[in-house]
Amino acid sequence: MAKNDLQGTLDLLVLKTLDQNGALHGYGIVLHIQSASNDMLRVEEGSLYPALHRMEQSGWIAAEWAMTDTNRRAKYYKLTATGRRQLQQAEESFDQLVKGVRAVLRYA
Amino acid sequence: MAALRRIANLFRRNRVDTEIDAELQAHIDLRIDANLAAGMSPSDARRNALVQFGNVTATKERVAGADAALGLAGVWRDIRYAARQLRKSPGFTITAITTLGLGVGINTACFSSMDAVVLRPLAVPDLHRVMTIAEQPSHGDYQPVALANYEDWLRQSRSFESLAVRTRADMSLTGAGDAAHITAALTSASFFTVLRTQAQLGRVFTDAECQPGRDAVVLLNYGFWQRQFAADPTVLGRKIELDQRAYTIIGVMPKTMQYPSVAEVYLPFAPSSQQLADRSKHDYLVTGRLRDGVSVQQAQAEMRTLATHMAASYPATNKGWSVKVESLLDDINGDMTPLYYRLVMGGTLFVLLVVCANIANLQLARGVARRPEIAMRSALGARRWHIVRQLLTENLLLAVTGAALGVGIAALYLRILLITMPANVARYIPGWSNTSLNGRALLFSLVLAAAAGIIAGVAPAIGALRVNVLEQLKAGSRGTTGGSRRRMRSVFAVAQISLAVALVVGAALMSKGMFSLLHLADEYHPANVLVFNVTLPEKSYDTKQKQATWYDQSLERLRALPGVTHAEVTAALPYSDNGWLQDLEIQDRPAIPGKFQSALHLAVSEGYFETLHIPIVAGRGFTQSDSFDSLPVAVVSERFVARYFPDQNPLGHRVRLGGTNSHDPWLTIVGIARETNYSMWMPTQEAAVYMNTAQMPLEGATYFLTTEGNPTSLAPAAHKALAGLDPALPLDGVETWQQSIHEQLTGLMHAAGMLGIDAVFALLLAVIGIFGVMADLVGERTREIGVRLALGAQRGDVLGLILRRASWLTGAGISIGLVLAFLLAHLVANLLRGVSPDDPVVFTVITVTIAAAALGSSWIPARRAARVDPMQALRAE
Repeated sequence: MAKNDLQGTLDLLVLKTLDQNGALHGYGIVLHIQSASNDMLRVEEGSLYPALHRMEQSGWIAAEWAMTDTNRRAKYYKLTATGRRQLQQAEESFDQLVKGVRAVLRYA
Repeated sequence: MAALRRIANLFRRNRVDTEIDAELQAHIDLRIDANLAAGMSPSDARRNALVQFGNVTATKERVAGADAALGLAGVWRDIRYAARQLRKSPGFTITAITTLGLGVGINTACFSSMDAVVLRPLAVPDLHRVMTIAEQPSHGDYQPVALANYEDWLRQSRSFESLAVRTRADMSLTGAGDAAHITAALTSASFFTVLRTQAQLGRVFTDAECQPGRDAVVLLNYGFWQRQFAADPTVLGRKIELDQRAYTIIGVMPKTMQYPSVAEVYLPFAPSSQQLADRSKHDYLVTGRLRDGVSVQQAQAEMRTLATHMAASYPATNKGWSVKVESLLDDINGDMTPLYYRLVMGGTLFVLLVVCANIANLQLARGVARRPEIAMRSALGARRWHIVRQLLTENLLLAVTGAALGVGIAALYLRILLITMPANVARYIPGWSNTSLNGRALLFSLVLAAAAGIIAGVAPAIGALRVNVLEQLKAGSRGTTGGSRRRMRSVFAVAQISLAVALVVGAALMSKGMFSLLHLADEYHPANVLVFNVTLPEKSYDTKQKQATWYDQSLERLRALPGVTHAEVTAALPYSDNGWLQDLEIQDRPAIPGKFQSALHLAVSEGYFETLHIPIVAGRGFTQSDSFDSLPVAVVSERFVARYFPDQNPLGHRVRLGGTNSHDPWLTIVGIARETNYSMWMPTQEAAVYMNTAQMPLEGATYFLTTEGNPTSLAPAAHKALAGLDPALPLDGVETWQQSIHEQLTGLMHAAGMLGIDAVFALLLAVIGIFGVMADLVGERTREIGVRLALGAQRGDVLGLILRRASWLTGAGISIGLVLAFLLAHLVANLLRGVSPDDPVVFTVITVTIAAAALGSSWIPARRAARVDPMQALRAE
């Protein structure tokens, strides 16, 4: 049984983004998800930041303050080893969800 | 890890807040930058960024929420709330913390002492794998080992990874002030391997040093190093003289290795080839460490098999001998000490239960006042679980504060205990000097406190769940009475009284037993008797003749001292438990196989019977004409006659002590002495054979001097008199007989004292408990009492009404308590001679006392009830 929900999907998007891009700040994550999904997905800041902090507390991602290209201080996040394992699980879980939903749609 | 970070976040909430602010602001700024870059005007760029972001404050709150997991923040809030609540009722809080502190304190102290003395007397790794191995004759107690047998075990046994042998020697230390008598442990080098211990300073022996001629090295015991050398770290390499031979100090043992506890120094055991071949002298103590995976039973079985083989190979010496393997810990502790400790620990835990009952009781009383508060919180949406959690937190907070106080009390208690223990008793208790508040004791106190908090918190919490919000809010602050709550309080009061009764009876019986033991020897007026021990060194007193001369001359000198009325010497004083039990032979009466004959070997000087007023009931006592050259004679005890010569005249018969290998001469019985007790502990006394020190001198003996006036003031004179004869001869344990009896009973006094403290404390709490319940009852029934009085009830009736209720509670408590007390009394009676478990006086006196105390404490609330002014009581409603 695939375990998934909307929050899980957000986590998956964030983890995947960090996996592909290395360290990113919150704004960077928003931009990446927006452009990578061809503007189809827009992440709400109100959901993103609590999720980032929760994942940090759980040890999936690590954060550190650094300077941006435009010379501003921002908090950068990157994937930890635990986070990488979590990503793998989340991806599998998501695949199953998609398969499950597809199967139901076909049946109807 | 995540949990730790969350807890950490709780304490730096401010910093976390600022950080979140900065992070979110950076996000907005970055978007403004991007908007500007895309060509927006500064004000548009800013507005757009803020709109896109949404509600900053709400986001920030949610981020902070993610950082500090709500559950933990809730606990912290509960703790702060609990602290505020406790501050609001200082009377309750102080009482609760003080009683808890005392309860936890005495428990911690008791546990520390037990831990040091009984549980871990030695700092030996895997102590439970170390065994003592003794030889077990077919009859009687197990005995030390013969050296040749040990050598065989060493070669043949597979159960032990290492075995060690040791023996003990009494030696004179000379060349450093007064001659001192010291006890040495002669050990094989493997002794330290078996115990897996190292020297604290310097090193332990090598195998090479355990050979005759190369063994002039000495290891100091920690206590001896402190006493004799003031803990001087430069002692290594120095020489000391023992029995006129110089030994080089090579090391000091650690403080935590007081084993064997009597040993002041350790010397290498360097046996001669003659000793190594001896199978009849059972003089050696053997310890061994079990090989990994070998159980005690397996080792025991293997050693038994070896013993059977050896019995077949050497029937003359080994026939009938088996082997006993026992854990070293059991051997060190003996039978009684762990029992005393368990008894006291049990009593002390009982007290903690009384403390819990008391706090629960107080909490229930407070519960009434808190009902409106709880109802209000429920009405505002607090869940039941939250309220229960809140109450439990409050109790745990009390418990932890109480525990902190308790640790302080325990430290103080242990300090007093260590100071008051006589040094020459403490020396013989391995592990005594290790007594300290260690990590285990602290953990123990924390666990106790937490358990106490939960136990005391459960009842009030359940009570809180029963609060009916609507009723409570309607009733306002006046408070309705709760029948079930009062029932619960009554149950606690009854429990307190019953536990107190049991403890007080137990402690009283124990004190009574101890008191009778302390005064057992009173007929001999021990306060006027000076006692000390002398051990004659083998080297300078190598013949019986020399030893006899010494006793003769020394007694003569002592008798000449002014103030001394009698000076005598004996192998053992009455009640000293010092006598030697030896095999007994009776001439012309062949030993019956399987029937073990034994008697106490009591060599005494000529005037012994007269000085102690022991009548000779038949024949004669010893006289001056009994000399080294005349016929060796004996006086026997009445029990001896009853056991070995029932309905016969023993006079003229000849007996010999020491078994078939004895070199002692036959003794002709010339008299019968009135039965005298030589043991304080044994329920039945042994048969005794007295002999004259002039004919059968001892290597070591107890001198006793009866005096006019203070005996201790005679000690220097006695010392000087004997030094005039032999300056190298040390005197041991110079004190009054009374002091020596006190020292014998120190352990017991300690146990009785602890139990006494427990009992007084429990009684006090029980009285507080019943007072609280009755005061509560009167408070709740004021209106009813007012009505009764208004309708014509007499004040006496009201007084009776309240006291009847109190009697009922007290009666129930005492009845249950007496049953508990009876069980406890049986336990105490097993531990102590002279305690009768159904001592009617003790039971009656204590029942009456406790009933009086309980009713007395109810008298105050009862009188208040009787003085209620009906007008006021009714108007108040």
